[in-house]
Amino acid sequence: MTYYMYSNTQEVTPYERMMASLNGEKTDRVPVNFYPRWAALEYVGATFKQAWDDPDLYVKAQILAQERFQYDCIIDYDMMGPVEEAIGAKLKYPDNDVPQIAEPLIKTKEDMKKVKWKLDPRKDGNMPKVLYVIRRLKEELIKRGRGTQQVPIMTWGSCPSRTAACLTGFKEWFLIVARDPDWAVELMELALDGWLQMVIAAWEAGVDCVWVNDPVSARDCISRDHYEKLTQPYERKFIEAIKKETGMNVTFHPCGNWHDRLDLIYQNQADCYFLGPMDIELCTKAAVDTNAKGLSRVKALNGNVGAATKSTIDGQTPVPYGTTMKRGKPEDIEKESKVVIETVEGADLRCILGTNCWDVKGSSFANRDAMVYAARKYGQYK
Amino acid sequence: MSTIEAIRKNVYDGDENNTVELVKKALDEGKTANEILDDGLVAGLRDCGDGFEKGEKFIPEMLMSSESMKKAMEVLKPLLLEGAGQGSTGKAVLATVEGDVHDIGLELVGTMLETAGFEVRNMGPDVPTEDIVSAVKEDNPHILGLSALLSNTMDVMPDVLEALTKAQLRDSVKVMIGGAPVKQDFADEIGADGWAYDAASAVPKAKALRSELPE
Repeated sequence: MTYYMYSNTQEVTPYERMMASLNGEKTDRVPVNFYPRWAALEYVGATFKQAWDDPDLYVKAQILAQERFQYDCIIDYDMMGPVEEAIGAKLKYPDNDVPQIAEPLIKTKEDMKKVKWKLDPRKDGNMPKVLYVIRRLKEELIKRGRGTQQVPIMTWGSCPSRTAACLTGFKEWFLIVARDPDWAVELMELALDGWLQMVIAAWEAGVDCVWVNDPVSARDCISRDHYEKLTQPYERKFIEAIKKETGMNVTFHPCGNWHDRLDLIYQNQADCYFLGPMDIELCTKAAVDTNAKGLSRVKALNGNVGAATKSTIDGQTPVPYGTTMKRGKPEDIEKESKVVIETVEGADLRCILGTNCWDVKGSSFANRDAMVYAARKYGQYK
Repeated sequence: MSTIEAIRKNVYDGDENNTVELVKKALDEGKTANEILDDGLVAGLRDCGDGFEKGEKFIPEMLMSSESMKKAMEVLKPLLLEGAGQGSTGKAVLATVEGDVHDIGLELVGTMLETAGFEVRNMGPDVPTEDIVSAVKEDNPHILGLSALLSNTMDVMPDVLEALTKAQLRDSVKVMIGGAPVKQDFADEIGADGWAYDAASAVPKAKALRSELPE
């Protein structure tokens, strides 16, 4: 069985399909979005460093891979780094991975006065490079669509707690949360603006939607109490600021196990939730419940193939990070995709099919094809 | 509450300063360094680990407990080394695999192994496979501990084992793995010698594996 098929020039384009789902609306079928950094790079045979050094290569990779795999959204560089670097952090650029912070920038409260918090993404550091890629993606998509953009572009933003943790070092961040919550608040307050400005500039450059994530506030990391009082308010503040400034649909990715605080994350007011390795039934039910209470506005759930099993729904059992996309077979992808689609659409939320974290490096082309095939097979709207 | 019990509670609570003061008090009362370590500090850290498993303690609290223990160890370590003579339980090299920046758990394991008498070289996060192999070649450790917190980085662990085999080092070292996505079945699948759920359980496992190697 081969799973490869179709072109973008169907009756409904990926752009229409994806943007409708983010708005809670139906078109022809469920879209697919697995944040295809590695799908794109592996398709053209480039390392991340090569694509970082040659932005046009990255543009080419994103365009060609989407045409090959037929998922419904492409992404810009989609990475931590440019904002943190502009603030003052030193990055290291591995050969085939996104950049990482070389060493913590902020070790004391005094260090906070020495860094640059107010940024201009059009001028500072490598942020203009990210904007260049967005403009080029837009140009290329419109050219290939003969005047119409047929595939949406998604950008990424880092929630304030994540940015703060990158700047202080993850271990120190958790100690700050424990020892000095007032300092944690101060850090998040300052960290919010840099990425907000980046997302606004990305929108001005042409992106159509945005996803944001927080990997340091899951149940794997901090208590529900710390989340509710400390970091969740800043997630919400960030999301609401993006919506106010740009009007874009926002997807929030709770990275890790958030089973015990789903009610709280849905109150972030994101339109869509890109679910980590969690139980899809539990997540769907919680979204329906908080929507019904008027506390949230969840329109779509994105994910989460390769996710948790029933045994992890108690919120306490450690969640295995499923790697079906990399280690499973196409029939595993198809089977899990069917469960996700039926569960989410069955609750009258829109399903955007994807994995439980972003596209896994080294996943087979067959597995990626299988996901798109599953969306077509099980996700047709009647 | 005895002073040792108070030490245990203060480690559990993550009260660094009080823990140090209580350790000094216990020494003044004539308690041995080993008693304070096992029944006070390690017991408190284990209680915290149990709390982590039950969802009562999280990473900030675990770190505070670990910091309490580390500060207390500054007082106890000279006395423990004096008592132990020149020998050590064994040598361990620890690393988070390439591509993974998480090292909190690794640090906890390092602390626990040191308190158990291992000489520990903690290489930290994001360590290239070739560097891990070089470290094993240089240090000739009994235990190599590998950590990964992400699903895509745990898949680097088999590469490390393969590299050790190619370098003809595999049989000289016992490889233990750990980290959130890593489970016993994964350890079995890739041919690792051991797996530990948390820092506290890493110690008996490391000791057991160490005993399988010649002196």
